[in-house]
Amino acid sequence: MGLLEHKFQDNVVVASMDKLLGWARSTSPWFFQFGLACCAIEMMATAASRHDLMRIGMIPRSSPRQADVMIVAGTVTMKMALRVKKLYEQMANPKYVISMGSCATSGGPYWQYGYHVLKGVDLVVPVDVYVPGCPPRPEALIEGLLKLQEKIQAERPLTKKTA
Amino acid sequence: MTADQEKLISEAVEKALAGDMDSINAIEDRSLRAKAKAALVKAKRAAKAEQKTETSDDAKSADSSVPQEPGSPLASLLTAFYPGEIVESSNDGNSIQIKPEKWEEIAVFLRDHADALLDQLECLTGVDLGEGEELQVRYNLHSMKHRHKLEVLINADRNSPEIPSVETVWRMADWFERETYDMYGIVFNGHRDLRRLLCPEDWEGWPLRKDYEEQKTYHGIVVPKVKEGWE
Repeated sequence: MGLLEHKFQDNVVVASMDKLLGWARSTSPWFFQFGLACCAIEMMATAASRHDLMRIGMIPRSSPRQADVMIVAGTVTMKMALRVKKLYEQMANPKYVISMGSCATSGGPYWQYGYHVLKGVDLVVPVDVYVPGCPPRPEALIEGLLKLQEKIQAERPLTKKTA
Repeated sequence: MTADQEKLISEAVEKALAGDMDSINAIEDRSLRAKAKAALVKAKRAAKAEQKTETSDDAKSADSSVPQEPGSPLASLLTAFYPGEIVESSNDGNSIQIKPEKWEEIAVFLRDHADALLDQLECLTGVDLGEGEELQVRYNLHSMKHRHKLEVLINADRNSPEIPSVETVWRMADWFERETYDMYGIVFNGHRDLRRLLCPEDWEGWPLRKDYEEQKTYHGIVVPKVKEGWE
């Protein structure tokens, strides 16, 4: 103890680097707004002043290159599926996807006879959190986002992976 | 279709005609069920047509000397100027089926003639008349000046559906015709930019036709529902 005692100012953080990175990443996941249908309205409501996503560090971005999380909000058509994939590939690592609502998760009402609808966005991009609902209320989306934060926090980006 | 399937369909249709739709809805295979439904529609239409001819025969025998006059000024206008082009006209004369050949000329006539002045194309849709039947395009026209309406019907062959475009007559028709082309595959000759409107450009098939079957994959993505066991 003698070496470190009384050597620092009082603003030093002592924590493991993994936890520090997890904390930093999980508390500022900027999201890429991907409003495709009615779920987008709820997503906007979530970002607006009443529910205020800013308090958990989330800011909507319009470019995939500035975003960490992609919230796929709404019906993904076959035509859009290729674009969703392309935009996901343009995001910088680490990147996460939230599938918001029934349509993005499984095709929703277009599930059986919707020839033009992708039956779940997880067919084209890996999904981290599914938020059920048609559309989900802002509370539900926030719950999903908090779940995602837990997931990011639990990641250990610096630790060597053992097989 | 195998003989078994045909038998199944004919039995289901007979039951449905007697008022029991459940027999068709109970068919499990999707394409088979669709075929049964198409057969039902056909059977119903045949029955209706039979009834119609019977009644019209009665009407003729009662008063055969007077020829049937079309029931609206627009219909008589068309009959006067293009007598050979009218295939059928409804009793009230508001719905007229014409031949496709001179459609563009007739369209200009309907738009510009002082007694017609149908300057607004309200809607343009395609109709699939059923398996083995023709495709149809319907134009709903409206006149701002005279406040009257007319529906024009044009049939097209299922295998090579071609109809003259009226995109240059009513600019409204541009996207309407593109949508109809997208959903039914009806080619509008003379349209300056006939591409698919809603589906991706490399989509296969015409979705709103009754015999449509969706493609299995699109750019490597599975199209029909795959997550069996979710229900």
